[in-house]
Amino acid sequence: MSEDFLTRLREEPRPEFADELRRRLREIESAEATPASRRRARFVPVLAGAAFTAVVGLAFILPSVGAAARSFLDLFRVKRFAAVPVDPERLTRLQRGGLDLKSLVSEQVEVLEPGRPPEPVAGAEAASAAAGIGVRQPAVLPRGAALAEVAVGHPGAFRVSLDVAKLELVARAVGVEDPDIPASWNGATIQVQAPPVVFMRYHRGADDFMLIQSRNPAIELPEGVDLARLGTLGLRMTGMTPEEARLFARTIDWRNTLLVPIPLQGAMFREVEVRGQKGLLVTAMQAPKAADGAPRPGRWRSVLLWEDGGQIFALDGPGQGIEILEMAQSVH
Amino acid sequence: MGGTRLLGWLVGAAERESVDWDAVYQEELPRVYNFFRYRVGNPATAEDLTSLAFEKAWRARRRYRRDRAAVSTWLLAIARNVAIDHYRQPRIELPIGDADVASDAAETPETSALRRSDLRRLETLMGGLPPRESELLALKFGAGATNRAIAKLTGLSESNVGTILHRTIAGLRAAWDTGGRS
Repeated sequence: MSEDFLTRLREEPRPEFADELRRRLREIESAEATPASRRRARFVPVLAGAAFTAVVGLAFILPSVGAAARSFLDLFRVKRFAAVPVDPERLTRLQRGGLDLKSLVSEQVEVLEPGRPPEPVAGAEAASAAAGIGVRQPAVLPRGAALAEVAVGHPGAFRVSLDVAKLELVARAVGVEDPDIPASWNGATIQVQAPPVVFMRYHRGADDFMLIQSRNPAIELPEGVDLARLGTLGLRMTGMTPEEARLFARTIDWRNTLLVPIPLQGAMFREVEVRGQKGLLVTAMQAPKAADGAPRPGRWRSVLLWEDGGQIFALDGPGQGIEILEMAQSVH
Repeated sequence: MGGTRLLGWLVGAAERESVDWDAVYQEELPRVYNFFRYRVGNPATAEDLTSLAFEKAWRARRRYRRDRAAVSTWLLAIARNVAIDHYRQPRIELPIGDADVASDAAETPETSALRRSDLRRLETLMGGLPPRESELLALKFGAGATNRAIAKLTGLSESNVGTILHRTIAGLRAAWDTGGRS
């Protein structure tokens, strides 16, 4: 049955109307950018830099344990962070192939306890009480910076089920022709209980620094799955050849290393020492847009990830890492 | 993978902000406008309601959660509420044929007149539909929403949406053909 006659009412909005409405919406955007309303909204943008840089391509983060067959569930604890260069072309291939990676992943995730966004609290003490951790603070701040806001969020808990067919689908879509995934993995589950997260925003003029901290999440790893093998598959999906993935995998302590995918172009990373622990510093050029949509000159922004005493930390800030590294060294 | 959930959650939070609202405006304006165009008929009213919907959305955009709904669905949900509010208020509505109908500069006077005539007929046919059917048609043909998205927006099941649309379109088709033109 032809439905063409029903589409005849469709038309493009008048350009004058579209321009006028866009102008009014920009006024709303500008009004929200005033200092009074800005403070509340600042958490997320700063967070965006930290989180995005740290976890581009979460699907590739495939931690593991060395033992191939365990008779009981194990717990994984982050001690170190390792950068994995990711070829963005791999993700482009996924999109070209019509695969919605996000949907594929989300179909395998069962939310056990919904997460809650960060809510402001009175200060570090209140955050400690709300998060159930001893909140640590930097003794040294970048010149001119001061603590502006503290918030606590709850990521919740979830369970991921492995689906061999979908894993193979994604692997082949990004160019891994021989994924070689054991059928016995099908249905294995990974359960994650993420503890509360504390966000501390330090403000300085046009800049913000964000310190994020949390207890190590509890991860229940599945029985009978060689996750080192899964990790190696993940490495190949990032663009490594089988040999490169094998060699890289040998350098990883799969029990406690969180892989952090980094785009091949546009970002730099290096291992640094933070209070005696190995940390990962990632720096990237950001090119934000002005309110009128015009691109503004790019600025360096960095994220530092480290673990200390059972807590994991992320510190995000402007520049190439000098200030946040100094700040991180004083966190206690 | 100790930090995966934590970082995944952070990404979710980041994504709430990382929406390109300029692109959203460009892509969604025609859909929202045409939703109202089909829903209320009159172009001037459609523009007013489109403005209202976008302004509401812009003020609420920081609360938008990408993990809960596509931005197009979120915007249509707001537009739908604006339409519901609109119909709750007493109003004087111009029939579509009496209002300005955008015309193509390349159209001849003859094709332009034919088009206006078609639009009047279509508006008359749609104006006779019950509110639910009218809304589903506006979402389907005005906003270009899928049956699944319409189901999510209206609370109807997807198969129910499909059945209602099929029945409504068949009725309109028959009435349209009776008028001698397709």
